[in-house]
Amino acid sequence: MFEIAMGEAGVIIFSGRLDAAQCAKAQAFLDAIADPKVFDFTKLEYISSAGLGVLLKTQKRIMASGARLKLVNVNNHIFDIFRYSGFDQIFDIQR
Amino acid sequence: MSERSLSLLSLARILDVTRQLAAPFDLDTMLAQVVDAAKMVIEAEGGSVWLADQETQELVMRVGSGIATVRVPMGRGIVGECARSRAVINVPDAYADPRFNPEFDKRSGYRTRCLLTLPLIGHDDALVGVLQIVNRRDGVFDGGDEQIAMALAAQCAVALQRVAFTERSVAAERLHKEIAVAREVQMSTLPDVMPAVPGYDMFGSFKPTDETGGDTYDLVQVDDGTVFLLMGDATGHGIGPAISVTQMQAMLRVALRLGASLDDAYMHINNQLVEDLADDRFITAFLGMLDPARHEVRYHAGGQGPLLHFQAASGECVWYGPSLFPLGAMHLPAARVAQVIALAPGDVLGLLSDGVYEYMDPANQEFGEARVAELIRTHHGRPMAELGRLILDALNVHGSGATQADDVTIVLVRRLPGGALDSAAMGDGVQRVEQRFARTFDSLAPIFEFIGRFAEQAGFQPDLKFAVDFTVEELFTNMVKYNAQGKGDIALALESDGTMFTGELVDDDSERWDVTAAPDADVSLSAAERNPGGLGLHLIRRVMDGISYGHDGRQSTITFRRALRTG
Repeated sequence: MFEIAMGEAGVIIFSGRLDAAQCAKAQAFLDAIADPKVFDFTKLEYISSAGLGVLLKTQKRIMASGARLKLVNVNNHIFDIFRYSGFDQIFDIQR
Repeated sequence: MSERSLSLLSLARILDVTRQLAAPFDLDTMLAQVVDAAKMVIEAEGGSVWLADQETQELVMRVGSGIATVRVPMGRGIVGECARSRAVINVPDAYADPRFNPEFDKRSGYRTRCLLTLPLIGHDDALVGVLQIVNRRDGVFDGGDEQIAMALAAQCAVALQRVAFTERSVAAERLHKEIAVAREVQMSTLPDVMPAVPGYDMFGSFKPTDETGGDTYDLVQVDDGTVFLLMGDATGHGIGPAISVTQMQAMLRVALRLGASLDDAYMHINNQLVEDLADDRFITAFLGMLDPARHEVRYHAGGQGPLLHFQAASGECVWYGPSLFPLGAMHLPAARVAQVIALAPGDVLGLLSDGVYEYMDPANQEFGEARVAELIRTHHGRPMAELGRLILDALNVHGSGATQADDVTIVLVRRLPGGALDSAAMGDGVQRVEQRFARTFDSLAPIFEFIGRFAEQAGFQPDLKFAVDFTVEELFTNMVKYNAQGKGDIALALESDGTMFTGELVDDDSERWDVTAAPDADVSLSAAERNPGGLGLHLIRRVMDGISYGHDGRQSTITFRRALRTG
């Protein structure tokens, strides 16, 4: 089960498991937001490389304005994936 | 009338007849047309055409003045003599000729006076038959008549050959089309995918000998979770039996969908087939219901046997015979109670048509039960799709080029030793589960559930569970994306021996495509330069201790492992 929702102060809340079957849902939600800034991963249990692709696409979209996505409350397993993939260099990650 | 004008008139008639003979008649019309033409051109009272039957070396008369079909051996009588010598025989006084058989006259009341008998020789110099013209209207046949009749006979022979050839081609073409349609219908009734039943591995295959066969099989999960197993063989092969088995299968699916019990469905379908099938036709069939929770197969085997039960505990194959007479052979006044086979962990139920057991090598030696049993004893631990292919390969080797004489149908059902539902240990702390998943992203949810159950039962640390999820998703979605056209489900096996976790993804229908040969992604690039492709394997190499790839036939296997960490 994967959910994505707008929380307080423009923070976007991810929860559940972002796998390849859920990417379309996440991408559609993010594409509809003009200026995404902070993603809260407190309740995100799992992400696959397809999920990383969704985040990368969103980052590329907002890069023109020099912005950088901030990912907060990232659990250890997910942080490992970011670290192994070098994505910890791309996003501003807070564990 | 002068000789010359008579010839011109005859020539005009022959040309007229020839034009008529060129029209596309069926054989019977053409035969009548030839006799009419002869009567018109020669001015005779009657005639008959005898067609040569090269197989029996006889002459067969299909038309003649109201006389029933008659067969005469070549060489006997005037007609037979004409066929043998291929020469015109002009008999001015029939009753004075010892070769003449007066039987026809006696039966018909007709009086034969004179006869002109000519061979019908086709364009390829083959004897098509014999044309016999009876009773010139005035007098006897003369040399001029012989000349005219020979010209006519040549035309008739070619016309008859053309019609016979056309009739054969049309019949063959129609049959060919009908067979193709029947085959399409029959093949469409076979299951596309094996039912995904936790704790079980299933395989079905049907290889017809003709374009259509009399065998069929079905493996389908019913609403209550039980699995319907069918393996049937109608007597003979070709269109008729193919329709019979297809009809039986359709009736069964409807009966089971309507909630009929196996015993009732069997009785009703048997009795329906008694009415529908010709008296010399019947269907041998195994009809069973597998209850995957109780690990029991309840079945009726109408004339179908031997049934093979590989028992993992003893490592031996046990054989059962039919439980009842074949379907459609006799009316059943009341429902019979089904037989039961209990499947222990690792057991295999093998339903193989007699086309397997009786597969002949060039020296007419049957493949036999012993060879089947040996293959199953040796390879029972492999996925059933692989075991099925090994049996098919062994049949090919055994036949070594001999023509497949009968339909070959194989249904294999294995209760996995470490079934997902009851997690039986394989001994020495080895646990293994295996399940097949449809080739779609929608399978991800059931795959994660499957991994979750095993992770819990095997006591995985959370990071290992995450790593297995991640690895399986990357590899499975790759298989779905890059081999969407592959046939069948993708098998996932998970095994833990207490110190090492091993996972295996098997695609039974894939080109060689070694994912492990892909280069690592360059993770030092900036966001603008990065794209997510190629990242999956890079990450798998970091969350797993090892990954390897194998390809055999059409089968791709990716194996990944990681040491279990305690604490």
